[in-house]
Amino acid sequence: MADESGRIVVSGVSKTFGEVHAVTDLSFTVEPGAVTGFLGPNGAGKTTTLRMVLGLAKPDAGTAVINGRPYVKLSDPGRTVGAVLESTSFHPGRSARNHLRVYAAAAGVPDRRVGEVLELVGLTPAAKYAVRGFSMGMRQRLSLATAMLGDPRVLILDEPANGLDPEGIVWLRGLLRHFARNEGRTVLVSSHVLSEVEQTVDSVVIIARGRLVHEGTLDELRGAGSVTVVVDSPTPDKLMQALAPLGVKATPAAGSTIHVSGTTTAAVGHAAWQANVELHGLRQEQSSLESVFLELTDDRTTAPGTAGSSQPEPPSPSATPPA
Amino acid sequence: MIRLLRSEYRKVVTTKLWWGMLLGAVAFAAIAVIAQIATNGIRNNPAGPLTNPETQRSILSSAAAGYVFAIVVGIIMITTEFRHFTSRPTFLLEPRRGRVIVAKLLVAGGLGIVYGLACVAAAVAITVPWLAAKGVTLGWASNGLIASMLGILFVVAIYAVVGIGVGVLFRNQIAAVISALVFLFVIEPLIAAIPGVKEAYPYFPAAAAMALTGTMRDQQVLLAQWQGGLLLFGYGLLFALLGWILTLSRDIP
Repeated sequence: MADESGRIVVSGVSKTFGEVHAVTDLSFTVEPGAVTGFLGPNGAGKTTTLRMVLGLAKPDAGTAVINGRPYVKLSDPGRTVGAVLESTSFHPGRSARNHLRVYAAAAGVPDRRVGEVLELVGLTPAAKYAVRGFSMGMRQRLSLATAMLGDPRVLILDEPANGLDPEGIVWLRGLLRHFARNEGRTVLVSSHVLSEVEQTVDSVVIIARGRLVHEGTLDELRGAGSVTVVVDSPTPDKLMQALAPLGVKATPAAGSTIHVSGTTTAAVGHAAWQANVELHGLRQEQSSLESVFLELTDDRTTAPGTAGSSQPEPPSPSATPPA
Repeated sequence: MIRLLRSEYRKVVTTKLWWGMLLGAVAFAAIAVIAQIATNGIRNNPAGPLTNPETQRSILSSAAAGYVFAIVVGIIMITTEFRHFTSRPTFLLEPRRGRVIVAKLLVAGGLGIVYGLACVAAAVAITVPWLAAKGVTLGWASNGLIASMLGILFVVAIYAVVGIGVGVLFRNQIAAVISALVFLFVIEPLIAAIPGVKEAYPYFPAAAAMALTGTMRDQQVLLAQWQGGLLLFGYGLLFALLGWILTLSRDIP
């Protein structure tokens, strides 16, 4: 059933290259009107997934649909979806304008659109030069211009920040947010660095080793982080003994500091008070977004059958999307 | 389909490849024609006097030598997409991959005809004044020269189409070009020379091309003109189908 929603739905997709399971039973949904980050370490299967969404690779199992249809069944793909894939795709001897003219013809859009997208990405002054001499940032801009030729409702960008200078990243961030929030387009941006897209995305889909490890808003991701109690005592050895009955993981850190995970400041303070241990500091540290991301995508925590610490709170990373 | 043809046409004319290869094709054709005329009547050249219809056909149709550049252009037209990953925007904008291949085959064939016309023009420009200087007139209609030259257009166009199929098969540009050249310059001549397998030679593309264009080759027996044309068409169709099927069945890099 086709629709004009701009929604991307990936259901149960798997892809194997020889012995390598690139993507395993992956399901997630990307909604319009928001920028969605598609995150995971290098080799997690992001590009493979995007290639299957875009019909360049066939999944071994499962389906990926845009507007309710597989990419190859879209009636006018160039006007529905614009994609920028990781390696830049240009003939080095062709000028930027001619590159866009080639694809304007294929997309069935008038040639004046070429001038418009060049203007949009700020490449008009370089339009007549061969792509050979372009910097990485200019190539990224030209890739984006190519994706925008058909003025698509859905934008899919694979590592678009690669090679962009800080100014370019700020520009791209503003553009993508404008597309999603003001114009209601669907924007899916992949990255292997959360901090790179942290200020751009509204929600995230995180995969590791080809499997989904988290799907939700950025705030939900923050909540998925663990809490560490940091406690200072002039007698750390005595404090360690006092904490032993709690059955928590206590790790001596630098100097007189101990990091305790899986508990609360109240429990640690109470244990110290009961054991008559002097405390000089007692505070709670929430792990940063980046460290939550690292925890989620770490091999040890995502390996099947390996349970993390057994604390009931905070919520442990779940391998299933929130209901 | 019009969109795709326009896109493929623009791909060809917006890089230097097509006219660089065109110059090469014309140069090859010219050298082949000049060699034919210059060596006529000397050494072991089996060709008869310049007034012979077969000799005249052989001289003009040697311009088909430009086909080497046509197959290379066909190979590069498709392998450059894989090499520079332009295959991605190409197949993103037209995920019905078979149509992309058909557009490429048509543009390659059209380009082949352009190359063929240039080769024929070069051959005529060299042969007519040179033979006139020797007091020989070409028998255009009576000696079957027109048919020969139409044959050249066909041969060069078919080789460009075959190039697309070869390019899809190998994907790697260097491997595809080298394999094609080895086949044309080493394998086919060897087949023609080795007793025992020599009998199969008339069914190879080069021999079919010679049969179609009316080129003589030593004492080699060739197919009839129409058979050569049909066989060559079959080769074109085979490689076009190969390119089509492989593009549909494999993932796009």
